[in-house]
Amino acid sequence: MKDKHIIDVLDNTSIASLSESELSAVQAHAQECESCREAYEAARLSAVVLQSRAQTKIEPSPFFQTRVMAAWREQQAVENVPAMLRLWRSARALVSSMAVTTAALAALTFLLPAQTTPLTDQTASMISAESVIMGQGSDDQETYDQVLSTIYEDDDDAR
Amino acid sequence: MDLARQAQAGDESAFAEIVRRYSPRVFSVASRFFRQRSLVEEAAQEVFLKAFTQLGSFEGRGSLEGWLTRIATNTCLNTIRGAKRRPEFTVSDLTDDEQQWLDHHSAGDGEQRSVENSLVATDLADRVLSVLLPEDQQALLMIDGEDASIKEVAEATGWSESKVKVRAFRARKKVREAMEKLLHRR
Repeated sequence: MKDKHIIDVLDNTSIASLSESELSAVQAHAQECESCREAYEAARLSAVVLQSRAQTKIEPSPFFQTRVMAAWREQQAVENVPAMLRLWRSARALVSSMAVTTAALAALTFLLPAQTTPLTDQTASMISAESVIMGQGSDDQETYDQVLSTIYEDDDDAR
Repeated sequence: MDLARQAQAGDESAFAEIVRRYSPRVFSVASRFFRQRSLVEEAAQEVFLKAFTQLGSFEGRGSLEGWLTRIATNTCLNTIRGAKRRPEFTVSDLTDDEQQWLDHHSAGDGEQRSVENSLVATDLADRVLSVLLPEDQQALLMIDGEDASIKEVAEATGWSESKVKVRAFRARKKVREAMEKLLHRR
């Protein structure tokens, strides 16, 4: 192993699980090969910090069991409520708001007086479809000839 | 198995006994993933409530402890996956204590064991572990940190042994490279 790079060995297995002979071979190679020395040093320090991390354990507090049992009872209480009641509880807000909205719309529809004024026959005839299409004005609208005769009459009077 | 059956039938004292007996194991698993007590407790509570609802699926082939360990592992992994990933560590983030620790230990002066030293080492571990997927962290911490066998990890996680090997190899390589980076840029 002395002439063989050891990086694969370091990545394949933890340093702690190497046998004594394997470890000495790895160290011997690391002393002569700079890149493997750096890799070995990093692997060794990684193993130290990982073991330290693994030893950091949090123990359950004396109140933990009480806390879990309280949560469990709460969960049980929710599950024991009949399904329809649970459905009603979750949908209550939505159903209530829909009912209020419907009542408000009904009140607006039936109780308030109508505010739109229907068109009279005269108005309707003034803007009938035929008059718009044919470009014809209504009866009381002056024609071009009438306008001209009115102007000339005014001139005659002036003279 | 009896305890599990009694709890499933709604026996409160049986469920309380399960919580009392297996809390240390569940906390031990959750401690691999979280360092804050509140997070560990939250995860452990979720594990027991989930276990209660799934007691029907426990057939008693393996131990109740093993079954709970697997639920704990999956629950913690799901919590971590749902949380935001921590940003990748940078060398400039190293504290003075961490730099000092690396100086001492790379010079071979690593025999000082104290609570403070362990805390610094644990912080450094979290720093290098942050480059890994949560599943890879789990495999590496169990094998290299707790000296667990490949088989034990496979049982605790429900992964195949070859999958555990691949995860451990990949994780070890990445952690070593991250540590090399820290050592170079000190």
